[in-house]
Amino acid sequence: MGLTELLSLYGQNYLQALLTTWLMTIESFALVMIIAVGITVMRVSPMRPLRVAGDLYVQVFRNIPGVALLIIVVYALPSLRVVLDYRVCVVVTTVLLGSAFGSENFMSGINTVSAGQIEAARALGLSFSKILRRIVIPQALRSCVLPMTNLLIAVMLTTALGSQVPLNPTELTGVVSYVNTRVTGGILAFLISAIGYAGTALVIGAVGNRIDKKVRIYR
Amino acid sequence: MSTSAPASRSVRDALYEAPGPRTRRRVRIATAISLILVVAALAAIGYRFYITGQFAPRYWTFFAKATTWKFLLQGFAGTVRVALTAGAIALALGLLLMLGRISHVKALSTVCRIVTDFFRSLPSLLLIYFFFLIVPQYGIKMSSFWMLTLPVALAASGVLAEVFRAGVNAVPKGQVEAALSLGMSPLRTTFKIVLPQAIRFVIPSLISQLVVVVKDTTVAYVVSYPDLMQNARVLITNYDALVSVYFTIAIIYILINYAINQASIYVSHRLGVKIIR
Repeated sequence: MGLTELLSLYGQNYLQALLTTWLMTIESFALVMIIAVGITVMRVSPMRPLRVAGDLYVQVFRNIPGVALLIIVVYALPSLRVVLDYRVCVVVTTVLLGSAFGSENFMSGINTVSAGQIEAARALGLSFSKILRRIVIPQALRSCVLPMTNLLIAVMLTTALGSQVPLNPTELTGVVSYVNTRVTGGILAFLISAIGYAGTALVIGAVGNRIDKKVRIYR
Repeated sequence: MSTSAPASRSVRDALYEAPGPRTRRRVRIATAISLILVVAALAAIGYRFYITGQFAPRYWTFFAKATTWKFLLQGFAGTVRVALTAGAIALALGLLLMLGRISHVKALSTVCRIVTDFFRSLPSLLLIYFFFLIVPQYGIKMSSFWMLTLPVALAASGVLAEVFRAGVNAVPKGQVEAALSLGMSPLRTTFKIVLPQAIRFVIPSLISQLVVVVKDTTVAYVVSYPDLMQNARVLITNYDALVSVYFTIAIIYILINYAINQASIYVSHRLGVKIIR
């Protein structure tokens, strides 16, 4: 099947799939950032139970395979009488996975600030909140830009889990299987989706690199 | 990773002044409250299991049977086979892509860069659909093992190429210049001076990338290859026990990947090199 034929028949589906992937990526990434901040605050708090809980959260969701988590959210939670919409399931799974990595990025950002700086700030009489606001957070955020760019791309790739559940409209990976159950789309049916992902990743990467160049601290 | 690095402890703790008696009391109270909250959250989850009857013995007793574990172990062997084969292919392919990318032949370097970036920016599920749905349309028959292993390997090779490149960049430029000025050919310099050191730099990162490979193998059910996940699904239909099996399998995967991560941290300490992600 040629490109023009494929596009005239299913162009609308691909376009909608691309938009769905973008939308799910944006929603997930926004939630990832919020939860990652919360988890990171827990992990640097002086309360030991919170630290342990935060570390455990990160270890669990960093190491669980995405498909396994998705299946638990989709099929096991209803047995525990928690029923979610399929699309919500995919976003929840992506957010749980992404926030663990996001918190790791924040932690290594915090670790780029040397302990000596914090001690110096304290010796100068800065309060705890001022140390956080003026010394730690600005430096941590600046050194997080590239890892977070990569995380945004990873979140986009994770939303491909949506192909494993019935979504309407489906996302960019699911649409390949949708098209191929109807016609023999051939390699083009795959390439259109692939270009959608690769192109988006290229743009995200370029923007991330630009921001990183502007704000990075050279040590 | 940051949980076990000694540096992270110091920054975590440097944030706080040595507490006085009042602060100590406040922290103690907050600790108690947070402990109660954490326990309450866990109890709430446990309660949900209880009221929905998920602790009923019929969901758990079959885990005491040897046949259950033998079946899961067979699945695990399948997972290991796919992960190791895909890992080996990805290592070779990643190294080739990186060597092509750092070569001075402009066309080769551009092609390798595009291929690397392409594989890196695709979800492995899409690659699996490619081998599962698209390749057979051209009359090529593949076993389910290769329909799973090849996409996992391709997805990993792009990432590994970047890991190798980071290792090459970590080798001091002066060494290359020294080797060239001693009259070594560029090819010899790459293979005798740069690569041995670069590979040493990236060994821990390569180990930690195995986690990604193991995670990717879990989509085996798409091509119905009998890996740990697929065998777990069979177990579920046999015993009609969905929640208990999925939670057990998830914990097994978490432990495997946690072990791989710890191994990579251990090796990185032993070699004195950092893990590149």
